[in-house]
Amino acid sequence: MIPPAAAKTFDELTLGHGVGLEDLIDRDALSEMVKSFYELLGVPLRIFSEDGKLLADAADQNPLYAYLNSAKAGRVALSDIAGKVKNLALGEDGLASYPCPTGESYVVAAIQYDGKRMGRMILGPFVSPSDAVPTRVLLTLDPALEASRLQELFLELPRAESEAVLKLVRHLQRTLDLLLFSGHRALLTSNMHLASVRESFRELEDKNDKLQTAFDRLKELDRLKSNFLATVSHELRTPLTSIIGYSEMLVEGLAGEMTAEQREFVQTIRDKGEQLLQLIKGLLDLSKLESGTMSLRKSQTDILTVLRDVAQTMSPTARKKEVEIIVDVERGLPLMWADSERLRQVFLNLTENAIKFTPPSGRVTLSARITAVDASNPEEAGGLVILSARRTAIEFRVADTGIGIPEAERSRVFDAFYQVDSSSTREAGGTGLGLSIVRRLIDGHDGTVRITDNTPKGAVFVVTIPVKRATIG
Amino acid sequence: MQLDFVNRELTIKLVYYGPALSGKTTNLQALHKVAEPGASGRLMTLETKDDRTLFFDLLPLTFRNQGSLAVRLKVFTVPGQVIHASTRRLVVQNADGIAFIADSRSNETQHNTESFMDLRENLKQHGLTLKQMPLIIQFNKRDMPDVRSDAEIAELASKGREPVYLAVATRGIGVVESMIGLLHLTWSALDAEHDLNKKFGFDSKAFLGQVAQKLGNPKPIPEILQACVGGALDVLRPEAG
Repeated sequence: MIPPAAAKTFDELTLGHGVGLEDLIDRDALSEMVKSFYELLGVPLRIFSEDGKLLADAADQNPLYAYLNSAKAGRVALSDIAGKVKNLALGEDGLASYPCPTGESYVVAAIQYDGKRMGRMILGPFVSPSDAVPTRVLLTLDPALEASRLQELFLELPRAESEAVLKLVRHLQRTLDLLLFSGHRALLTSNMHLASVRESFRELEDKNDKLQTAFDRLKELDRLKSNFLATVSHELRTPLTSIIGYSEMLVEGLAGEMTAEQREFVQTIRDKGEQLLQLIKGLLDLSKLESGTMSLRKSQTDILTVLRDVAQTMSPTARKKEVEIIVDVERGLPLMWADSERLRQVFLNLTENAIKFTPPSGRVTLSARITAVDASNPEEAGGLVILSARRTAIEFRVADTGIGIPEAERSRVFDAFYQVDSSSTREAGGTGLGLSIVRRLIDGHDGTVRITDNTPKGAVFVVTIPVKRATIG
Repeated sequence: MQLDFVNRELTIKLVYYGPALSGKTTNLQALHKVAEPGASGRLMTLETKDDRTLFFDLLPLTFRNQGSLAVRLKVFTVPGQVIHASTRRLVVQNADGIAFIADSRSNETQHNTESFMDLRENLKQHGLTLKQMPLIIQFNKRDMPDVRSDAEIAELASKGREPVYLAVATRGIGVVESMIGLLHLTWSALDAEHDLNKKFGFDSKAFLGQVAQKLGNPKPIPEILQACVGGALDVLRPEAG
């Protein structure tokens, strides 16, 4: 019932002449009602829409009419009756009856709803019991039709008092009015549901558009920020290289001998310059990683070499803090497809970080072992049967015996410039850039990084990187 | 407004607007109760939950004038609850006149204000202003305790332009008067725009009288119109054109 009316506007459905009988009432239900009426009374009933379409019909082939149909004059008389009944002018009360010249009668009644004509119903033919005699017109219609047969069939026509039929018609009108009312209400309700959904959809779409615009703007700003960082870092590096170079020359006595104190001061300038340079390099890396302009130079890489190199580089720092570094690499690890320089940077960062937060006489352990990861992306559930092929991977662990990282902070420590506790920066130093670079470099190797607890205390950074390059996706 | 030239029928859309639980549906029920059976159709209430209107109520009223024009009034309510904003916008579209049903209780003043702003916003979305819209305001629930006083409302009403009515819709008090006032304003505006009285030989005063009679109020129209406690009823709204 919804499709033909769905396109109608609210005004058409409530105010105007937009709805027809077929929109408001189910045709099957109407047919059923008409049939049940016919069974009850035996008087044939037909319902037409306002434009003359037959909507429901309950009448067996009437034997008299079948017989009349067999002769030419009979056919003419029948079509005359049909035409007259169908176009009968209705009175003010929407009723009219038609007594046929052949003796039977019809009653026609308007179907009204909300003051409007929606269609008409036609009852008949029937014969009033008081004049159950065929008219002369019928008996002399056609010489081909036998009078006795006509008489016999005429008496078989349904019988009903006109009064009773009119009463029934009024009852039918009221029943139909109720049906139309509930049909109209159902139609309006479904249309309102549709309209409300459409309206909500429109509102959501508006909001979506606004969000998308805001999102695009933010993305653009982010890109600008990365560009700015890259440019500034690059521009800062040039003068800084000169500062470091000249202070080195001073320390080496190229501009004449210095007192011990002077040398110490210049040495400090150089050290701090070096520190600043590392920071700027970090910024530059980050902006390159963010803008996607850093390319990894991957080759077959030996893990043991990388980790030993890291331990060696960090050992002076560790010694100074009285922290022990242990390298524990499983035997027979395969070569892995990675950028060895960047991998070194990852573990330098993690190890430096671990040492920084480990108190004296603590221990930092670098370990690596072979493991396997699912080929499927853990963020996309589903398709496990297909995607669960295991890939060989290396699991690296950088474990310390330091202060540990609270559970709630673990996902945030990889954000750029984020520090768990800003007071620790002052104590331990650092910019908060290292871990965000680490995460991005690991991403670049299709790997993952997570943080777990070390027992009895401290934190473990677990880095898992597939051995071979991904062949899927 | 919809004009059916073939059947010489005019359909006018009136909308009862207002905050939740201010008595919009009760107004329609009261009208339905007093209307002569021949004049009023069934009151259709669409989708209710806990006796609250979800979509709208619709009361059709039909008046056949001795002139040549039949006038059909379709009286709608909107759902008052804030969340049904989109439905209100849909129902108020193409309204010819609006009755704003306000809750008289002092602590409902804020809700009245919000609903009125909402009406203004929804009209704006259809490219209309309050100024263009024939509008009456009914302060309902006068029988409740802690209502804003008659004097306070009369004082405010005398400053505003919209005719203001006092009502107790549950007892049918003021309901027909509000309706007649709204119809008077709406007809004036429609006549100013479409010149209906002249075109159809329509006698709007007699028509109003007939409506009042069929709604069970046989008093003369000027007397009924006087029930309004403030605002201007005789303003023909030239802005409407």
